Amino acid sequence: MRHVDHCFRKAVLKRLEAFGHGIFYLTLRIAGQPGAYALLVPVVLTYVSASRRIHRLTSPYLRRRFPKHNLIERWWDTFRICHSFGQILVDRAWLGLNRSARLHGSLDGWDTILGLIEQGKGLVLLTAHVGNWQAALAHLKDLPVPVHALMHYEEEVVAKHYFDLRGESCPFRIIKTDGFLGGVVEATAALQRGEVVTIMGDRLAGGPSATVKFLDSQVRFPAGVYRLAAATGAHIAVLLAAKTGRQSYHLRVWDVFHPSYRNREHREANLTAWTSRFSKALEAYVIRFPYQWYNFYDFWNQ
Amino acid sequence: MDQLKQQLKEMIVQDLNLPDVKPEDIDDKAPLFEEGLGLDSLDAVELVVLLQKHFGVQIANMDEGKEAFASIESLAQFVDRRR
Repeated sequence: MRHVDHCFRKAVLKRLEAFGHGIFYLTLRIAGQPGAYALLVPVVLTYVSASRRIHRLTSPYLRRRFPKHNLIERWWDTFRICHSFGQILVDRAWLGLNRSARLHGSLDGWDTILGLIEQGKGLVLLTAHVGNWQAALAHLKDLPVPVHALMHYEEEVVAKHYFDLRGESCPFRIIKTDGFLGGVVEATAALQRGEVVTIMGDRLAGGPSATVKFLDSQVRFPAGVYRLAAATGAHIAVLLAAKTGRQSYHLRVWDVFHPSYRNREHREANLTAWTSRFSKALEAYVIRFPYQWYNFYDFWNQ
Repeated sequence: MDQLKQQLKEMIVQDLNLPDVKPEDIDDKAPLFEEGLGLDSLDAVELVVLLQKHFGVQIANMDEGKEAFASIESLAQFVDRRR
C-alpha cells in the first residue's frame, strides 16, 4: 500500500513538474524573458517557503559562504541562489525557443587561451557548475583547434539539448565519462594533438581526489584532471562564467598553471597543490558571485 | 613479437610503477584494465603517453584504445601494425 502511495505521489509530482515547465514555456512565448523572470519570483518564493529539502541541500554551502548570517538572512540566501538558478533555466529555455535571442558576453583571457593553444601541448579548460556555463561554452566554437568536453550523461543531455533547441551544432565534441575507461583515452589523444579538453573540476565521479581547503573547510575535489594534464604536458586554464545582467554574461580565465613532475612520487606530492589552484579560483569566484555556484548537495560530505 | 611483448611488459612495470609485479608474471592474454593486471583509467593516460614516447604510436580514440588495451598480446599487435 505504501509502495502504491509512493508511486502515485511520484507520478503526480512528475505531472506537476511537466505542467510547471509548460506554464513557463507558454509565458516565454507570450511575454518573453521578462515575463518568465516575473513569474519566477512567486514560484521560487513558494518553493523556498514550502520545501525543507532545498534548505538542506543549499545549507552546507551557504552557511560556509555566509557564516555570520542569521536564520532570516540564510532563508533569503536560499531564495537568491534558487532564483539565480531559475533564471539560468529560463535563459536556456528562452534561447532555445527564440533563435534570434542572444546573450551578450565578454571574455577576459581570450588571448591567454590562444597563446596556450599555440604552444601545441594541448589545453585543459577547467570549468565548474557556475553561471550560465552552456551559453559561455558556445564561445568555444571560435577556438582554432577542436574542443572536446569530458562530460557525465546528465551534463551531456543538457548541453546537447541547449544546442539542439537552437539549431546550432554543438561547439565541442562530447567525450562520455561512462565510455571506455571514463573517456580518458580520447581525452589524452586530443591533448596530445594539441587540442582542447574541457572538464568540470567541481564534481567527484570516482577516480583520484585531493583534500584541500575551500571556504574554510576541508573538502575533496577531483584530482584526475591534474594527472591527465601532467602526463600529457598540457596547460590548465580555469575558465568560469558568470551571469552579469538579464542578457549578459562574463567569461574569465581565473588561473593558468602547468602541472609537471619529475617522477611519480613528485607527482603525487603535488596533486594537492594543483587541486588547491582550482579550489582557490573557485573560492574567489563564489566570493564575487555567491549565488551562482549550483552544486545543490553537501559538497563537504562526499 | 615476443621481444616487443617483453618490452611492453617492462615498460608497464617500470613506468607505471608496479613494484609488486614482475614482467614475467604478466600473462600475454590477461586483461590489462580492471581485471587481470588491474590498471585504472589514469594508468591508461600514462600508457597512451608512453606508447607515443617509446614507440611513436598514437592511440586516437576509444575504439583503438579498446582494441589495443585488451591484453599485452593485442597491445603488441597494435604497436607492431602502427610503427
